[in-house]
Amino acid sequence: MAEEARYVYSVARTAIKENLGEIGIEKREVFTIPYKDIAAVVHSCLPQAYDTKDRARAEEWVLEHSYVIDLAMKRFGSVLPFSFDVILKGDDSAIAMWLEKNYKILRENIENVQGKAEYTIQIYYHYDDLAGKILETDAELNGMKNRIGKESKGMAYLLQKKLDQKLKSLVSQKAAYLAESSLSRIRSSVDELKTDGKRRTAENYKSLSLLASYTCLVRNDMVARLGEILDEVNCQEGFRVRFTGPWAPFSFVDYRELS
Amino acid sequence: MNPERESSLVEILDRLLNKGAILNADLIISVAGIPLIGLNLRAALASMETMLEYGIMEDWDKSSRELYARAETHLPLFPGEQIHYKAFGYIRQEQGLIKCWVPGVWNITSQRLILWIKTPGEAIFETPLENLRVLRVPASHEVRRELELIYPEGSARISLSERDEFEEALAMAMERAVAIEV
Repeated sequence: MAEEARYVYSVARTAIKENLGEIGIEKREVFTIPYKDIAAVVHSCLPQAYDTKDRARAEEWVLEHSYVIDLAMKRFGSVLPFSFDVILKGDDSAIAMWLEKNYKILRENIENVQGKAEYTIQIYYHYDDLAGKILETDAELNGMKNRIGKESKGMAYLLQKKLDQKLKSLVSQKAAYLAESSLSRIRSSVDELKTDGKRRTAENYKSLSLLASYTCLVRNDMVARLGEILDEVNCQEGFRVRFTGPWAPFSFVDYRELS
Repeated sequence: MNPERESSLVEILDRLLNKGAILNADLIISVAGIPLIGLNLRAALASMETMLEYGIMEDWDKSSRELYARAETHLPLFPGEQIHYKAFGYIRQEQGLIKCWVPGVWNITSQRLILWIKTPGEAIFETPLENLRVLRVPASHEVRRELELIYPEGSARISLSERDEFEEALAMAMERAVAIEV
């Protein structure tokens, strides 16, 4: 038997065997292999992992993979996205057998994400803006500030330290309060929500402090509502919201039982 | 607000490499027992991910060339300025650019206090001795001995193993007693 394999991009809900064109990694022809009402979205390849030391090439492969998933999402509704470089040994019939073997769990996962997509919500705050606002209104801090001008250098230094500490804790209190109150509102409009462990500040937000980062599974008809809620948070002085998506539901598929 | 699908490479990489299906099937191709992702590729992308994250990939080539050009440099001094004392130590600022302990060589000159890093040849911190105040403070770390520097633009915490010696040298350079207990 000739060695062959299939590179798997995703599993989608479709019963039709069809060709999606030369849109795969390195322009490979992408097609579906159906079993009942689900299908693997694949291209044919040799049974070896895509591997390179060339960063630019690796980057291109990953973007091509991402593109195929996006396209499958548009065409089939939600899909189960697969990691980069998932390659199954065998021909189309072997893949169909694999789908058959895992049908129940794949079907359940697709059902769970049907008509939904993944979104990332990050809430940032601007320390100086918040601090400035608090300084304007807080009587105790104002008193301290006035005293600093009148004290000796050493005393002024200590007072300034005290003021800074107090201000810092008031800013974080205010930020925490907003995070908490917005979280319950966000929860009301999403199906599932995960707090991101890896808190990564986005490129254009480096001057701000990241307050909270969530990945959510959202029903298509609830995205506008979620956007309204986030608008309200975004309008608060000193706060900024970053809302990205739709992504394939990478964070909301459970493959643990897949074999 | 509407969600944006910005083509953030970092975000795409995070999803495609860290999330999504990781299978453990008989059919699957694996590399040295680690499934799925080619090891070289993973390494190439992982480093890129990190570099993108810290925004240091741009001008990488330029800055690394500059670094080598500046290597092996000596602390530049003003005319008539002399180095009185040198000791290995650290600095950290609670408010300022130096957020974590940064090591270097403390130089007390006749005019300035400077933390110098030999490679790439850079003054991490410097302040004129005039208007400098130094407080002795309890150390945040058992092994370290710390001082608080207060200068017109702000303050910094520094650490040296030979604190007393440093204080003496600084006092001599400044021609006055510097350290006071807090």
